[in-house]
Amino acid sequence: MAPPPEHRRPIKRAAISDQQRRREVALRLQADRRSDAQNRARQLASSVLSLGHEPETEPEVE
Amino acid sequence: VAGIELPHKQWPELINSLLSNIHQVETHVKQGTLETLGYVCEEVDPQVVDQDQVNRILTAVVQGMNASTETSSEVRLAATRALYNALGFAQTNFTNDMERDYIMRVVCEATLSSDVKIRQAAFECLVAISSTYYEKLAPYMQDIFNITLKAVREDEEPVALQAIEFWSSICDEEIDILDDYRSEYTGDSEVPCFYFIKQALPALVPMLLETLLKQEEDQDQDEGAWNVAMAGGTCLGLVARTVGDDIVPLVMPFIEENISKPDWRRREAATYAFGSILEGPSPGKLAPIVNVALNFMLAALSRDPNNHVKDTTAWTLGRIFEFLHGAAVETSVITQENCQQILTVLLQSMKDVPNVAEKACGALYFLAQGYEDEGSVSPLTPFFQDIFQMLLFVTHREDATEKNLRTSAYEALNEVVRCSNDETAPIVMQLIPVIMLELHQTVEAQKLTSDERDKQNDLQGLLCGCLQVIIQKMGSIEGSKYAFMQYADQIMDLLLKVFASRNATVHEEAMLAIGALAYTAGPNFAKYMPQFYQYLEMGLQNFEEYQICAITVGVVGDLCRALEDKILPYCDGIMTQLLKNLSSNQLHRSVKPPIFSCFGDIALAIGENFEKYLVYAMPMLQSAAELSAHVVSQDDDMLEYTNQLRNGILEAYSGILQGFKSSPKTQALVPYAAHVLQFIDTMYGGREMDDAVMKSALGVLGDLADTLGSHVGPLISQSSSSKDLIEECMVYDDPLIRESAEWAKLAINRAVSG
Repeated sequence: MAPPPEHRRPIKRAAISDQQRRREVALRLQADRRSDAQNRARQLASSVLSLGHEPETEPEVE
Repeated sequence: VAGIELPHKQWPELINSLLSNIHQVETHVKQGTLETLGYVCEEVDPQVVDQDQVNRILTAVVQGMNASTETSSEVRLAATRALYNALGFAQTNFTNDMERDYIMRVVCEATLSSDVKIRQAAFECLVAISSTYYEKLAPYMQDIFNITLKAVREDEEPVALQAIEFWSSICDEEIDILDDYRSEYTGDSEVPCFYFIKQALPALVPMLLETLLKQEEDQDQDEGAWNVAMAGGTCLGLVARTVGDDIVPLVMPFIEENISKPDWRRREAATYAFGSILEGPSPGKLAPIVNVALNFMLAALSRDPNNHVKDTTAWTLGRIFEFLHGAAVETSVITQENCQQILTVLLQSMKDVPNVAEKACGALYFLAQGYEDEGSVSPLTPFFQDIFQMLLFVTHREDATEKNLRTSAYEALNEVVRCSNDETAPIVMQLIPVIMLELHQTVEAQKLTSDERDKQNDLQGLLCGCLQVIIQKMGSIEGSKYAFMQYADQIMDLLLKVFASRNATVHEEAMLAIGALAYTAGPNFAKYMPQFYQYLEMGLQNFEEYQICAITVGVVGDLCRALEDKILPYCDGIMTQLLKNLSSNQLHRSVKPPIFSCFGDIALAIGENFEKYLVYAMPMLQSAAELSAHVVSQDDDMLEYTNQLRNGILEAYSGILQGFKSSPKTQALVPYAAHVLQFIDTMYGGREMDDAVMKSALGVLGDLADTLGSHVGPLISQSSSSKDLIEECMVYDDPLIRESAEWAKLAINRAVSG
């Protein structure tokens, strides 16, 4: 009997294994957490930046 | 040899001297020559051979196939096989109507040869033509349909399989084209869809349904089985994905007629047909049918006397849960009411023969997956204890290593853990000592035969995978995190012992579990570092199993975020290894972008202490940046890789800039600013940035301004991207890109004005 063409999804099997999924989820979580850490650093900077703007606007208010 | 020499123009006479043999009278010389031409075409890039030689090769090959002029069937077979390899060379010839007609006529005639091997080889050519020259097929489709129909119905199995493969291949093409149509680049698809499948549907579907009745008695027992029924079912599934709703009315009569027949083949074929069409048609079209069929399926899984029917029924139930249930489906076919009945049947079937039990585990996997985003109202909640008990029972079955059963049981267990919530977390927590005990037993086991060791490795991988999923889940539920941490020492102790195994998969799984543990433990993970470090280094050095290296690089990132500056004592070793990896030609290229991102993670964690690495890391980043900014992408893969590389580089710059923020050593970065800006300018000019790169580039522009302030103000003002890119992104659809643009603008304004 001829073997199935390699690219055909093995019959009655899930498209990706849970192992592959675990790997992908781990990589995605790492990417998300990296982006969260960088965004946190930026939010901190933004709040400092907006604070930094306050003295400039204060004279106008006065 | 030709594969090596021809691209360097070192063997120019080869093809000509081969072609001169074609006119030999002796059959074996002709046959040998055609075989050699075939091998040469298989090995050599089409661009290496000039069109004149291509023409002569194709003429020789097609003449060799022609039954009216070539009497030897050995020569005709060699020619047909040579054509298969030479098709990639025929781009120009396929644009010429006359030449294409001639090639197609000879191939179609060869499918009718009296020699089965020639027929098979000719159908293999048709399959290759269907994917390489899809857009040229329209004038031949009617003839090809008739030829394939006859082959599927009457010919020997190897020929029939190729005839079915032709239609599967057409489906692949049309699915890709239609996906392109649906994607954001609407209308950009280079090849138009000819809707061959839709047109052939009324005749194609009955032909495929017929094949489903040609099952082999024990095909479910044979891992490598591939026969007409399996190929037909696979093709039917692809047809359903290609045409969607239109397939349903064509298949339903077959299902209704056969699903209750006394002959098991008919019941199985009907069930298989049903399972095959569940992906593609809309849930709205399928749901009413599935609602009626569900009870029937559950009864068949419990009571059908035939294992093959039960196997296909359990698979079909899994497909129902996969495609008609879950957060993405508007109205799930699973309700609070039928969920209990479904679970009762699935859990009962897990005691059935291994292949049926394995499919029942698979069905439970998809049932649970549908509740992953459900919050606390999952109807699975009352059954968690029973589910875990049964799945653990399955993993201990004597025959659990047959038919992938144990793997399926652990995969289902993982999925149920993933859909746990506050309410079910205590039950998941009870699993931890059970899994740890199992893992402990595997690390203690000694003097195993090689077969036993293989099984042991499989089991260790599964148990580490299960621990990883549990750690991730328990770490994400605030109320469970602290209770979970009482197990952390023991889990870590076990995972370190697992590294004694020499198996790559086991290492990878253990590494992933440790990454999850580091994230959950946070700074407390520091106490494990002295023992763990050697394995971390080992992972980073593992070039051969590059997946392990990639995962370990990711774990370094997890450690940075968990330990922050407590990772400092290990950074010399880690940075040395990462720099070595980047310089290596042996390491798989996919690991390099994450290594750059990892530089960013390290810099963000240790701040100005990164200074001593700047002299090594920055030149690496600069040369990679230069290379990736100027890449002219030849294909989608290369473009994707280039963007991954760019993103990694930008993430490194962001991490380094943010790490140095507010430090007295900030000045150390000023000399690099011009290059960073130039990198972004070049990419912006090239117009091939994807959204992720765009967002990262905006981040770097902001970070540069924020960290270096007035030191880079004038430089940023001169940069084209800082102004145009930011303005462009301020009105982007993606809110994350808009936010990044706003942040960058704010930071730059301040730097320029300050």
